[in-house]
Amino acid sequence: MELLMPGLGLIFWMTVSFGFVLLILKKYAWKPILNVLNKREKELAKSFSDAKRIEYEMSQLATIKTTKIAEAEKIHDQIIAKAKEEAESIVAQARERAREEARIIAEKSDELIENYKKAAILELKSQLSTLSMDIAEKIINEEFSDRDRNVRYVNKLLNSVAEN
Amino acid sequence: MQLRHLFINAKAFLIVFATIAVYVFPVADTRAAEHQNISDADNPEMKFDARKVIVDHVLDSYDWHLFDIGEREFSIHLPVILLYEGRLFFFSSKRFDHGYATYKGFRLAKEGPMKGRAIRVLDDGITPDPEASRIYDFSMTKNVLAVFVASALLCMLFISVGKKYREADIYSTPTGLPLFFEPLILFVRDQIAILAIGPQKYKPFMPYLLTAFFFIFLNNLLGLVPFFPGGANVTGNISVTFVLAMFTFFTTHWFANKTYWQHMFNMPGVPMFLKLPIPILPVIEMVGAFIKPFVLMIRLFANITAGHMVILSLTSLIFVLGSVSILMGYAISPLTIIFLIFLNFLKILVAFLQAYIFTLFSAFFFGMAVPDPDH
Repeated sequence: MELLMPGLGLIFWMTVSFGFVLLILKKYAWKPILNVLNKREKELAKSFSDAKRIEYEMSQLATIKTTKIAEAEKIHDQIIAKAKEEAESIVAQARERAREEARIIAEKSDELIENYKKAAILELKSQLSTLSMDIAEKIINEEFSDRDRNVRYVNKLLNSVAEN
Repeated sequence: MQLRHLFINAKAFLIVFATIAVYVFPVADTRAAEHQNISDADNPEMKFDARKVIVDHVLDSYDWHLFDIGEREFSIHLPVILLYEGRLFFFSSKRFDHGYATYKGFRLAKEGPMKGRAIRVLDDGITPDPEASRIYDFSMTKNVLAVFVASALLCMLFISVGKKYREADIYSTPTGLPLFFEPLILFVRDQIAILAIGPQKYKPFMPYLLTAFFFIFLNNLLGLVPFFPGGANVTGNISVTFVLAMFTFFTTHWFANKTYWQHMFNMPGVPMFLKLPIPILPVIEMVGAFIKPFVLMIRLFANITAGHMVILSLTSLIFVLGSVSILMGYAISPLTIIFLIFLNFLKILVAFLQAYIFTLFSAFFFGMAVPDPDH
């Protein structure tokens, strides 16, 4: 029973002492300690979320990077393919044009040759008449007496010319 | 919660043991001589009274026994401060000569509920005065001094810890004392305050919870130290636990919000006949408000006192058996010592657990005092 008897003095001193400790520690211990702990936790949480965010952004950037690279490669391939195509078409065009020009030149030269040939034939014909006239003149001049024979001879000559 | 299981086991064990101890040892209570001293145990004339030894060690006293050298006793005689019939008496407890002397009409009560405390005696110097008016006893007893020592120690420890936190930048790893106390402080905050009160409302209760936790924990541990300045049964004293419980009570009602008071006096959602004309529910609620700190008071007191009693009982076992036969005393000693070592470890656990339980339950009461309005 004596154990359960509260003592006035102890209650009084305990109240004073504990109250004092409570006030002192509240001001000089718990406040700074809890402050630092809270601040540290907040900072940690912030750093953590920052890290998470940055990680996320980095992953975003990485996907963007890969897609960009893929796009660039695609464009690059396209450009090369197009260039090749163009080069081929240019070569083909050039070849076509050259062929065309060659054809035109050949045509023109054919024409020219034909013209020259015609001119040559014409000239030959005109010379032939002159030559005939010359032969005729000589025949007339030298052997105009024997007319029959001359005529035959002229005919003979004419024939031979015509055969040529 | 694993801690809870441990706590229940430890408590059950202590209670069973204390019960056995209390029932077994009075058997040895033969007509004990006045001047009991454990060194006299081997003297067949001086029977060892285990019950008296145990109760005397658990109770508060006016002087603090330090040690004996041979027959000489060394004690700190603490000041006795009495208010009697409007007069102040202030003298050293040496005047009582451990209960053998009467000083200015005051003497230490030998038995009864006031055992070990100053009472008024008649002119013969022995018989208690049945007509004496009330004595207001403000003496600096052993437990008062122990409370002062523990308070000074707490202030020194935590002011230095607080100073380190003030100076350190927040990213620095704690070293030294902060390294030791930070987990405990975080434990009180996260596992007690936030758990029981909630993350929004716990902040104003933190200073009290931390102070109570460390005060109880430190005093529990000091109570396990068998020599000065330890050894006083501070947290196993009903006055101390009463004050702690009252602090919890007043803190609860200081911070209690409107909803709490409404629930106490006008519980919403219950039939009117429970409140008027006979206020059954308000009475129940009010009784509950007082029972809560009362339970806190009893729990801490009973656990710590029971623990002290078990240890003292086991120690006494040596002397009880030794008074029967000195050989039996020696024979039982090794076993007792092994058991005592085990018990001391258990009591370190209990020291922590009881501090935890007291703080946790206080926090639960605080949590109940600040409920959300719509619930």
